[in-house]
Amino acid sequence: MLENYLPVLVLIGIAVAFAVGSVVMSGLIGMKKPSAVKLAPYECGMPLVGSARERFSVKFYIIAMLFILFDIEAVFLYPWAVMFKRLGMFGFVEMGVFIAILLVGFIYVWKKGALEWE
Amino acid sequence: MIDGLIMIVLILIKLGVIFAVIMTMAAYLVLAERKILARMQLRHGPNRVGPFGMMQPLADVIKLLTKEDFLPDRADKWLFLLAPGMAAVTAILTFAVVPFGPPLQVFGHELPLVVIDLNVGVLYFLGLSSLAVYGVALGGWASNSKYSLLGGIRGLAQLISYELSMGLALVPVVMLARSFSLTDIVLAQQAAPFILVNPLAFLIFLVSVVAESKRTPFDMPEAENELVGGFHTEYSGMRFGLFFVGEYINLVILSSMVTVFFLGGWLGPLLPGVIWFGVKVLALCFFFIWVRGSLPRLRYDQLMHFGWKILLPLALLNVLLTGAVLLWSRT
Amino acid sequence: MATVLFYLLGLVTVIATLLAITRRNPVHAVIYLVNSFFALALLFYLLGAPLVAAWEVIIYAGAIMVLFLFIIMMLELAPTPEADRMGPTWWQWLPVLLLALALVGCTLMLIGVDAGVAQGVPRWYATPRDFGFALFGKYALAVEVVSFQLLFAAVGAFYVGKPERKRRQKKEEGA
Repeated sequence: MLENYLPVLVLIGIAVAFAVGSVVMSGLIGMKKPSAVKLAPYECGMPLVGSARERFSVKFYIIAMLFILFDIEAVFLYPWAVMFKRLGMFGFVEMGVFIAILLVGFIYVWKKGALEWE
Repeated sequence: MIDGLIMIVLILIKLGVIFAVIMTMAAYLVLAERKILARMQLRHGPNRVGPFGMMQPLADVIKLLTKEDFLPDRADKWLFLLAPGMAAVTAILTFAVVPFGPPLQVFGHELPLVVIDLNVGVLYFLGLSSLAVYGVALGGWASNSKYSLLGGIRGLAQLISYELSMGLALVPVVMLARSFSLTDIVLAQQAAPFILVNPLAFLIFLVSVVAESKRTPFDMPEAENELVGGFHTEYSGMRFGLFFVGEYINLVILSSMVTVFFLGGWLGPLLPGVIWFGVKVLALCFFFIWVRGSLPRLRYDQLMHFGWKILLPLALLNVLLTGAVLLWSRT
Repeated sequence: MATVLFYLLGLVTVIATLLAITRRNPVHAVIYLVNSFFALALLFYLLGAPLVAAWEVIIYAGAIMVLFLFIIMMLELAPTPEADRMGPTWWQWLPVLLLALALVGCTLMLIGVDAGVAQGVPRWYATPRDFGFALFGKYALAVEVVSFQLLFAAVGAFYVGKPERKRRQKKEEGA
């Protein structure tokens, strides 16, 4: 059992060691001359205007919501796909209805203009 | 006991070689990309460091290491540190399930040329790629700079939109192979690679993969000429390097995924499997560079329209179509 | 071994969730919550349900937490970094480091245990195939109910996100 999973662990170890190691190395080797102007957020050399914590369009919220819905649909599709042959016609019709119902919602939201970016 | 030891040593050697190959490939892809792009734009590209600029990757690493690695004043400290690490680690870990050759016989042991053949390999890939968005989002948010935040948010929305069509394009593959294991998927393509069986799924997957790798024409999250550098504007030194390396590792891995899912993986006549796999992956990498050299960047609304109104419905339709054809061909 | 692991993972989940609730900075809270979902996924894997473990990562850690991040960014909920700087910084690192270490430890031990057949947890291993067959055969109706829920959710999400649009249109008409 150990043999099967050992490689993944070693890979995790290598990956983390690589990420941490290169940042630490960079910190040790790189020069350190911080100044107030250098540490300020980049804004094309102009003095800072306002804060970067701005509110932004609610559109992204709808996109994220739709993403969750379709992601859930996708995870239902995977076990269905792997069993497709055995489930046969019944499974196909079942999933057809499932996708159709979800598509109704998608088309509704689409027609209402949730996917328009002006 | 000795058998076990040999096994462990073999595994360690295998991992060392895999890691070294991925890193070298990522490093030289940067050079290859610069060279090929330069040729497409009638320039020479890097040619000063070593013969034909072959030592350029090394010079880049030294440059990144000696750069000042500063923490912006207003940044959220630990998220700022965490984000590039997440980007690089998720990229490297995805390679664990990629089979790049048929099992080897070494000292009477069977050594599979895959780190681990999970029975939920496809889901492992999708799970990691859904975690990979945190590198972009957190990096952009933690920097506390307007450009970074815009890049991060755009990147987040883009990655999740195209993740859907990428995931849905894999459903027909699973239906055809009847397994989540990537090795089984390759073996299921012995008669014909899935690119011929289901070309539509291949196209959807390929486009989604380009979008997932955040490359032109989908490089909105880092669009140099409007967002400076997008989510990594504030990053410098090796922390920027981690984002950068992660991106190229990701390119190698996504090419490997296209190879495994649609091009028949290591299968091919005459040459050994590993070579076939390498040739296919490199050809795809070249294709991605070519795309970057030829296509302009999409506008953000075009990008979202394309993902949601074309790719997603098409991918769903393709699932049902594949199902119908499979049922029909059986009866 | 499996029992120890079970309780350890449970502990990590509880602590990470508690930290997620108590953080003042919502983005940090999201990170702890992702940590907790990851521990839960390992727990499912230990209990012999690899598919559910994958769902936990894809849906909860990968999709729902992304929505949370969006909303936090959208509503400008995060405190200013200046307020965040109060107190020693290593203190902020400590819990996440300990939790991550515990997770790594658990993963290490999980490898030593044959998932699903170890003592202390039920001897049941639900392969994705079995799972799919049960889900789409026996519980077919439930699957269709889920699709209706998703339909309602899509419409609901649209209407929750809509008001801003109307206000803006009105403002434009007024101007």
